Amino acid sequence: MSLISEFLGSIRAFVQNQNGDELRNWLQVEPNVAQHYYELGQQLRSSCPANSGNIEKLVEKHLPEEDDVPEGRGSPWPGFNSFMEEYLKYWRDVDFNDIVKLYGRLSDLLISCANALANPTYGIMLLQTSMSLSEALSKLVMSITKEPSLMAQIQGDQTGDEAGEKKSIVELAADIIQKIFTSCLTDRSSTRWQPPKGKKIAVYLFANLTLKLLFACDKSRLAVQMFTNLSTSGPALSLYPASQRVTFLYYLGRFNFDHGHYMRAHWCFEEAYRQCHPQFLKHRRQILIYWIPSNLLLGRFPSQQLLSRPEAAGFADIFIPICAAIRTGNFVAFYQALNGPSRDWLWDRGLYLTLLYRLKSLVWRSFTRKTFLLTWEGATAGSDPNMMTNRAPALNLSDLVTTATYVQKLLEGYNPVVTGNILTLTPPPGGQLKRLMPSEGLIFGNKQPDLDSMESVVAGLVYAGLLNGFIARQQKKFAVEGAKRKGGNAVLAGWPVPYESIMERFREDYEDDLAAADAGEATEPPGEFDDVPGWVRMS
Amino acid sequence: MASTQPKNDVKSTEPKPEQAVPEKKTAVLEEDDEFEDFPVDDWAPEDTEAAKGNNEAKHLWEESWDDDDTSDDFSAQLKEELKKVEAAKKR
Repeated sequence: MSLISEFLGSIRAFVQNQNGDELRNWLQVEPNVAQHYYELGQQLRSSCPANSGNIEKLVEKHLPEEDDVPEGRGSPWPGFNSFMEEYLKYWRDVDFNDIVKLYGRLSDLLISCANALANPTYGIMLLQTSMSLSEALSKLVMSITKEPSLMAQIQGDQTGDEAGEKKSIVELAADIIQKIFTSCLTDRSSTRWQPPKGKKIAVYLFANLTLKLLFACDKSRLAVQMFTNLSTSGPALSLYPASQRVTFLYYLGRFNFDHGHYMRAHWCFEEAYRQCHPQFLKHRRQILIYWIPSNLLLGRFPSQQLLSRPEAAGFADIFIPICAAIRTGNFVAFYQALNGPSRDWLWDRGLYLTLLYRLKSLVWRSFTRKTFLLTWEGATAGSDPNMMTNRAPALNLSDLVTTATYVQKLLEGYNPVVTGNILTLTPPPGGQLKRLMPSEGLIFGNKQPDLDSMESVVAGLVYAGLLNGFIARQQKKFAVEGAKRKGGNAVLAGWPVPYESIMERFREDYEDDLAAADAGEATEPPGEFDDVPGWVRMS
Repeated sequence: MASTQPKNDVKSTEPKPEQAVPEKKTAVLEEDDEFEDFPVDDWAPEDTEAAKGNNEAKHLWEESWDDDDTSDDFSAQLKEELKKVEAAKKR
């Protein structure tokens, strides 16, 4: 008997026994397989040349569709046989050195596997095979995207994403895997809130595989549809094994981080970290890489306790200088912390620009606070602490111009020199000021701070809730509000705890959404306060 | 439990996360690049921090970190500058 007949005979037996594990074990596609597969390919090349129709005949002969199938047994079905034809063609034509062709063949094979999986009666026995083929395709796509010459060959005369005429290979592969994901999602063997049965058991396995592929290729925005589908009809995440829960929450956190939803990102990472077994240091470390920045952006710093955990080894060197710069409002230290030895590490993880632009407002907050501490003499008059005046606590914008101008000069390369008791700034050697990039200056490159720009900075901080008060434009001051409520402590009143302000602002936005929903304005009700789209929780 | 993978127990197999993907490059810069597949499918909730309630989590973050110290170098420089500019205005 030929190897082909023997192979198909075994496959038939697995189908009859509905043995999904063995189907996966036998239907391999990667180069590191037993010699038998290459011999199978050889036999197929000699006996079943392209367009001969011989493969179809062989499949029809060895995998006949059975009529009276006893309960608990299976039978080949048309979709499965099409898949098997595709599988045999794969081994007949495969050339692992021709990556472009390999990509095409493997994509076709997975599409036909997805079609076979969609069969409501027997499809489920291909679940494991779908998984291993999806893994193989995504691995291949990830390696192709790292090779520009291969990308060019595959994409050919692509007119670009913008034209919307042709999808990238990442998108195409993700589409196929998402098709399988949808097939699992729509399985009716169990409801959203019951322990998963049937194909539903693999919903988060395929979701995670798609996410892994999209994130590896910087295409996370393509995950939107999947999260929407999960929100609409997905099963509760808590019904799935811990490894799938943690992986899913990690990617959902990253998705929210990439899209500026730092509060949601924090919730996802927090839960992923808490549910991760402490033994998996690498996974916990990977979560921390994004959880710590999420918290920085929400105005919270990692504690010593967190930074001294084994999974955080080395993170103190990266994050403590950033925190110290924010704490002291020191822009020079802030840029040094980001542009020093940590720069490449932050850049490689997509954190650099986010931290550079988004943390600046926290540095400004501390900087305005510091200027206030240095200039506000309190409500008392002169040297007598009992002589109260009616002066309302305020920060002169002109003082802020003075301090900001000083810092801008430091950034431009001036050096502070103390002669006697007098501090002066000396221009950089040669008198050539440093040309600052737009992001490196206080306002915009070498633009000098003035009253208008300081007013706009303060207005931005008030709007963000980081400063509590208003701008008295006539007096050119920022007037602090609520000092009496804080026992006369103007600093505490004007510069509330950032995390509390940000949380409060988030809550206000949520309440606005609720009100809009009540008034019939919103298209969708906002759900619970801590809802994260895509994260299905038990109701 | 839902899975297509054979189920293992964390304690009995004692997996070393570092060995989960043997072909992974060891270069320092690439060390943290990927969220690897877990070597086991499931583990007991009581083995995680989630089981310990929220107490532990409270100590992970610092919310009040403001710095009232104005005696550091940077503050002293700003103070000097403010004084100088103020004096120049009065002249």
